[in-house]
Amino acid sequence: MNTAFNRGPALAAGLELDGLATLVRSFTVEIRGRSGPSLGSGVVWQSDGLIVTNAHVVRDQRPIISVGDSGEMEGRVLAVDQRRDLALLSVDAAGLRAAPIGDVESLRPGSLVLALGHPMGVANAMSLGVVHTITTRRGMPRYIVADLRLAPGNSGGPLVDIAGRVVGINAMIMGGLGVAIPSTVVRRFLHEVSRSGSVSFASPLAA
Amino acid sequence: MSDTSSAASTPSTMLQTLSNDLAGAVASASPSMVAIHARRRIPSSGVVWRPGIVVTTHHTIQREEQITVTLADGTTVGATLAGRDPTTDLAVLRLNSEVGVPFPRSAGSARVGELVMALGMPGTAVTAALGVVSATGGEWRTWHGGRIDQFIRLDVAIYDGFSGGATVDAAGRLLGINSSGLARASAMTIPLATVERVAEQLLASGRVRRGYIGLGVQPVRLPAGVVSQHELSRNVGLMVVSIEEGGPAHAAGISLGDVVVACEGTPVSDPSELLGALSGDRIGSPVPLRVLRGGTPADVVVTVGERQRRTEG
Repeated sequence: MNTAFNRGPALAAGLELDGLATLVRSFTVEIRGRSGPSLGSGVVWQSDGLIVTNAHVVRDQRPIISVGDSGEMEGRVLAVDQRRDLALLSVDAAGLRAAPIGDVESLRPGSLVLALGHPMGVANAMSLGVVHTITTRRGMPRYIVADLRLAPGNSGGPLVDIAGRVVGINAMIMGGLGVAIPSTVVRRFLHEVSRSGSVSFASPLAA
Repeated sequence: MSDTSSAASTPSTMLQTLSNDLAGAVASASPSMVAIHARRRIPSSGVVWRPGIVVTTHHTIQREEQITVTLADGTTVGATLAGRDPTTDLAVLRLNSEVGVPFPRSAGSARVGELVMALGMPGTAVTAALGVVSATGGEWRTWHGGRIDQFIRLDVAIYDGFSGGATVDAAGRLLGINSSGLARASAMTIPLATVERVAEQLLASGRVRRGYIGLGVQPVRLPAGVVSQHELSRNVGLMVVSIEEGGPAHAAGISLGDVVVACEGTPVSDPSELLGALSGDRIGSPVPLRVLRGGTPADVVVTVGERQRRTEG
């Protein structure tokens, strides 16, 4: 029996996870209908109040958005892309903590990933897992499929890499696996929104 | 331009190292994983045991003809079924060319709490699931009577492609073959020792030879008087309730109603203890049984025969 082992690394890893959870909580929002229960989660994409979520989470043109300790705010739907299942919202707030955006290219099967969200009324539920596979279409990443426990309220919330960078937006559960829309696809969506000119932004879109 | 870089990411050296190691383990194991096209719908997973030899689970091989195997580099080769053993849920394929990188094997044994990954290849890409070894134990028998050298249960989610894939340690070394078909639907690992033993038999003869003596037995409680009179160490024996006509036990003169109390000098009170003496390497060798016949002990020597192949395990 190997009883003499160093507890340090495991403890340190636990503390790192704790720090990661705090970071991810700071840019994850809860999205509710005006009178109803929680619809899902979202990600603060820019500090001036731009929030990315799933199209299927947005069932109300004026959803209520809870941003960490900043309290509840009324949101506005700026753009919805049903095909990609993405939506862009805004809240009147400045100085929000924007999510660092990561690159799906840095992920491989086995890479550790985290999800944070508000499943079934549970606030800030975190789950840890690994990338199961990354599906592609025409050579481009289509979905990040993760061995990770998700629940319906995770929709629209962040999938982050182990450095705390958002690599995807959790969108579906398929066969028990979490399915996220890669950040590259979110960027393409935002680029199209900004180019279409249908939405005017307070500050230039980070794309 | 970008607000997005304003939130500094938390330094997480330990976790980043772990994440890189896990992803690296998957990448290095990939050339040893294959997808097997031997069922409808999605392919199943297999592991390269030696160049040209793939080990997988019996229950995921649904057709025995026109099997093809896809390697991680995308090449597809034809394969033939060398043999299958329903009792241990293992099957071995011979590829039509000596391709594939043998999976690097772990030298140690699985420890409870150890991080493991279940790798699969239910298509063109290797998939990963993370978990821990949840329980270990000694040798055990499956409900089909197969002998598994070590009990290894995993706390890991079972997705398409789990069975027939690889259980690997955090360094990507093979601990065994994944199976969800051994103990209800729980995630189990068939250990390397079992794979080695069964695969060699399947490659040599296409099947796993099983000894048998042609007896059906049922545990029965023995009267206290009989136990004390014959100084038996257990109060349960195995009553013979069926005998195969012309089988080894029949030839040795065992009768219906005999109660087997010892096999090779060791008390037996459970049918599995009798099965334990009937492994394939015992075929042709004599096995002394002690029976109670009408309350009187008698010693009978049975020569282990070979069980004929059954179509269904």
